[in-house]
Amino acid sequence: MSMPSAERRLSVAVDIGGTFTDVTLQDAQSGEAWCAKTPSVPADPSSAFVEGMRLALALAGAPTSAIAQVLHGTTVATNLILEGKGALTALVTTAGFRHVLDIGRQDIPRRANLYAWRKPRRPVPASRIFEVTERVGPGGRVITPLDEASVAEAAEALQALGVQAVAVCLLHGFANPTHEQRVAELLRAALPGVAVTASVDVLPVVREYERSLVAILNAGVMPAVSTYVARLAERLVEAGVTAPLLLMQSNGGVAGTATIRRAPAVTALSGPAAGVVGAREVAAAVGMRDLITVDIGGTSADICLIKDGRIGLTSSGRIGEWPLPLPMVDMVTVGAGGGSIARITDAALSVGPASAGADPGPACYGRGGRFATVTDAHVVLGHLPPALLGGAMRLDVAAAAAAILREVAEPLGMELHAAARGILAIANSNMVGAMRVVSVERGHDPRDFVLVPFGGAGPLHGTALAEMLGIATVLIPPSPGVLCAQGLLAADLKAEFHRTLPQAGPPDAAAADAMVAVLRDEAMAWFGQEQVAEAARRLEPVALMRYEGQGGELAIPWTGSATAALTDFASAHQALYGFAMDAPVELVTLRVEATGVMPASVTQTLVAAPMPEPEEIRLVHFAAATLATPVLDRTKLGAGARFDGPAIVTQLDATTLVPPGWRVEVHPSGAMLLHLRTSEVP
Amino acid sequence: MKVCDPVTLEIIRGAIRATQAEMEALLERTAISAFIREKKDFYTALFDADGVMAVGSNVPMFGDICGPVFKHFSIETIQPGDLYWYNDCYGSEGAVSHSNDQVFLAPVFHAGTRCAFVMGWAHFADIGGIRPGSISPDATDIFQEGIIIPPTKLVDRGVTNTAALEIFYRNSRYPATCRGDTRALMASVDLGVRRMVEVADRFSSDMLADALAQLLARTENLVRQKLRETFPVGTHRFTDAIDSDGHGTGPLHIRFALTRTADDRFIFDASETDDQAVGPVNYIMNRDVPGTAFALYFLGGDPSQVCNAGGARAFDDVILREGSLLRPRFPAPLGMRGMTMMRVLATLNGLINVAGTPAPAAHAAYVILFIRGQAGGKPFLFSDGLGVGYGARPDADGIDSVYFVAQENYPVEFLELGYPVLLNTYAVHRDSGGPGEFRGGCGVVREFTILADHGILAIRIDSVVNPPWGTAGGMSGGMPRAVVNPGQPNEQVLKPLSDGNKLHYGDILRIETGGGGGRGHPFDRLPAAVLQDVLEGYVSVKAAQRDYGVVIREQQVDAAATFSLRQQRPASREFHRTVYVDAIS
Repeated sequence: MSMPSAERRLSVAVDIGGTFTDVTLQDAQSGEAWCAKTPSVPADPSSAFVEGMRLALALAGAPTSAIAQVLHGTTVATNLILEGKGALTALVTTAGFRHVLDIGRQDIPRRANLYAWRKPRRPVPASRIFEVTERVGPGGRVITPLDEASVAEAAEALQALGVQAVAVCLLHGFANPTHEQRVAELLRAALPGVAVTASVDVLPVVREYERSLVAILNAGVMPAVSTYVARLAERLVEAGVTAPLLLMQSNGGVAGTATIRRAPAVTALSGPAAGVVGAREVAAAVGMRDLITVDIGGTSADICLIKDGRIGLTSSGRIGEWPLPLPMVDMVTVGAGGGSIARITDAALSVGPASAGADPGPACYGRGGRFATVTDAHVVLGHLPPALLGGAMRLDVAAAAAAILREVAEPLGMELHAAARGILAIANSNMVGAMRVVSVERGHDPRDFVLVPFGGAGPLHGTALAEMLGIATVLIPPSPGVLCAQGLLAADLKAEFHRTLPQAGPPDAAAADAMVAVLRDEAMAWFGQEQVAEAARRLEPVALMRYEGQGGELAIPWTGSATAALTDFASAHQALYGFAMDAPVELVTLRVEATGVMPASVTQTLVAAPMPEPEEIRLVHFAAATLATPVLDRTKLGAGARFDGPAIVTQLDATTLVPPGWRVEVHPSGAMLLHLRTSEVP
Repeated sequence: MKVCDPVTLEIIRGAIRATQAEMEALLERTAISAFIREKKDFYTALFDADGVMAVGSNVPMFGDICGPVFKHFSIETIQPGDLYWYNDCYGSEGAVSHSNDQVFLAPVFHAGTRCAFVMGWAHFADIGGIRPGSISPDATDIFQEGIIIPPTKLVDRGVTNTAALEIFYRNSRYPATCRGDTRALMASVDLGVRRMVEVADRFSSDMLADALAQLLARTENLVRQKLRETFPVGTHRFTDAIDSDGHGTGPLHIRFALTRTADDRFIFDASETDDQAVGPVNYIMNRDVPGTAFALYFLGGDPSQVCNAGGARAFDDVILREGSLLRPRFPAPLGMRGMTMMRVLATLNGLINVAGTPAPAAHAAYVILFIRGQAGGKPFLFSDGLGVGYGARPDADGIDSVYFVAQENYPVEFLELGYPVLLNTYAVHRDSGGPGEFRGGCGVVREFTILADHGILAIRIDSVVNPPWGTAGGMSGGMPRAVVNPGQPNEQVLKPLSDGNKLHYGDILRIETGGGGGRGHPFDRLPAAVLQDVLEGYVSVKAAQRDYGVVIREQQVDAAATFSLRQQRPASREFHRTVYVDAIS
């Protein structure tokens, strides 16, 4: 993030989708933005990347040299992990522990049925797990020195198998990484061209099963992400772009290519993270900082709470079947989206988590889908226009009605519209359950928050979810379907540095300060590597503390005072769990959160315009009554426009449903604010 | 009375599940003992206004939880803000089946009307008794297994009986842990009550009542229907056995007879089960258990169904015999009842199999051990639970290396940071899965080096003499063992159910747990599947040839040798326990 002397400083955000690559160019000073769209090139995504950038620069009339930074979110790692299509990967582990993945945590999951459950197939079978002779004990003490001959043997076997990636995870490697690092070094030398990940490079924390998994997932995506990032960087140089390339991470921050190539697994959940950052940014432009965001797509909904403009992080996330304890935006995902299937089994009605997917998709897509889905319910009730994507896609209302009648209404003896409303009520209720988990469970009252629904289906559900939670304000972003670009443009550079204490114990200020100093040094080195200007560097030390013996820690800001930390811990425990105890408290881990603050992006303002005439008047089946409802084109709404529900607002990437009892106000930032008029709640 | 429509029913069910998840998360994060937070030995449930379990956990061992409280405190006297507590196994007729498990139960009131009860349940690490951990194979009466709490009103309209708690803590060898776990469990139940009040607020208590009634009826109807499909009219019998009570008696037989009458009444009779034991393997089988277990089996993997008391209602009568292993007379010891409970589940699988419906083969009972001693001048208590193999299923292999529903292991790194042991290996127990077309699950091997100055080991292993049976041509699971200093001159194989085993610094303790039974003839297993098992360390090359008729050379199937070997297919019979037999006895 060096400061160029050029007058104009442009940020470019590139979002590569399955069909189109969207490029947004923004002037950091004026907030002015230009968007370009070009067909994606799956065989070489970087060519669309560069082409889109060229188009956007042409729109802005700016030279390549005006680009100050290139921001990008990639789903390469995400897709490889979810589809199990990463490189052929092996694991090297401590002798005696070859079955670390097979055994895992030895449980049948709490919600599973022991008679029906099947253990998910591990990402690396034991036939590709090799043991080396060495042993590090608790606290990092070497018990058996590393036998390098055993590493050579493993290397030979790995070569014979033709693996493309190797993860190294040795017992207690988080406390003393020397063996792990030496094994990785020997393997890199013996196996040129093979991606090698040492677990400590990605996740230096206790618990060997989870750490092994992360190292494996990281190693498995490393070749593809590395190639991808290298080619992108190359293309940018060819195109004359000298600005740094920054990639989105699951923690909601961006990082440079060196970080990403070493630990590509940190991008695994970056897509949803970018959306959350975008939602925060859109709300900030309206002056709102306490938000519950819900990103509703085809198969799932991702829910996140933002308090005082801060996005919470967690280290107990999951991806697919696997725990992925890397720092990531604290989201709860539920299997409820537009494609979620409503069905009846043994007299019980359920919606999701099974999804009709994109092909054949919901019955209304007219591609032969026979399932009744959430989208079909919207179609039947009149929430969706008869065509989507600006007319590119027609919706088959009769097919949607037939599917809901056959699959839900008739078996339950319900009327069509009641059944459709029932499907939506269940999907909404599943999402509300998750919203309670992120709010109430963490000591927040959802009524104090603004709901920000986004994703293609978000604005259809926003008001219903708000009513169920007692939320009075809903904010619809200007482009609810493409918030990722906004997120990229707004994201800061972020990294976390942590150390688990050799032995947990009462907080000792001197020892803690010494460790924090080491972590600060690591963070400063990282700032240097990422070229973060002095003035933009922020460091926040955090102490992870618990009552002696507890399993979960609370993150308490570390100010250098043990007394203050203990007091803060007790009040946090009381607030979160409803009790505090007169019991010993121990400090487990210290963490330094490093942020390279990006210049705040100025949002472009919307001008006022006369209230447009409705595009059409349609019948919409609300719970209370069927009402003639105006359909408005969002692009024709100017700043300050106000109108009352019922109304439907359409735009290219989403449709907003405004039921009776809600009032819409168009903010100069382009966001739509929906207010519940409490006296008129239907 | 309002009638809950199918949509609202699903929404209420979802809200209850979310409440359970929240209660569990709170407990996991705030409890102190490794038993609760790392092993996760805890459960939650929701009951209707009359105390009937409407949404339970997926564990087939719960009985009538509320009944014992109502016997002491008439239901009309129960007030908002009350909290009830007990661990009394005999007083609850086995609703709790060993004294370490504490039940906390609170009523939910809405607008002055009682509309539900919420339960939190957890295993407490030490509540006094003959040895640290409160459970010992040496116990010969329940007073040696820790303090007994009869149904007690712990909180009376918001006022806590702190004296009762102090007496409880004083009876534990680890009072601080006990105190912390109690606080966590109380906070968890409190949270559950608040959430259920919110549900009642949203839908009205009438609607909630109807929803719970429907959930019960739905499970009951489903179980009744499946019972009719599974069991023809007549009496179906199956017998299985645990090896020993650790005090010289054994095997001890569990004998079940399930009768369907011509008018479709279902009667479950366990009265022919052997007499109660001197050692702590007695299991007070609550009347609700057989129905709950069948319900879980019949509900299968359908996530929209709930396991509740509806299953138990599907049986018209459950007959038990006073003085038997499953209905012992007070004060027989119960601490190690887990091995009997696991065998009860296998016996139920057997009933389904003999009635003609393919069901899983038998599983091994999870292994538990305790080491108590001195390390660095300080006392310690280390308890560990080890996974085993589950039975092969009609359409799938048995589950490898798992303990039981919800309960997790202690990671090696966690364990070594907290206890004076070093792990030499933690691996799949090769060849322990019963051979079959569908293989039984494999157990595990866990080998420790003892770093304590000295310690005393208690161990519980079952199925050494009577391994988990295979069926339909499948063979029985492999045998477990515990051995000190294997392969050394002072090698000592431990009694499978024993206490008082002395350990010293540097000793090696190796435990190999048992596997599940197989299903279908092993010669029908695809050679490629056998090869994969060999490459992954589940089956040895030798066993592949001997049991499966698959010859493997240099990590490849020798197709010709396999073909000729498989020509000599051994004859099989209906069941297999060490040898093929027509019936298990």
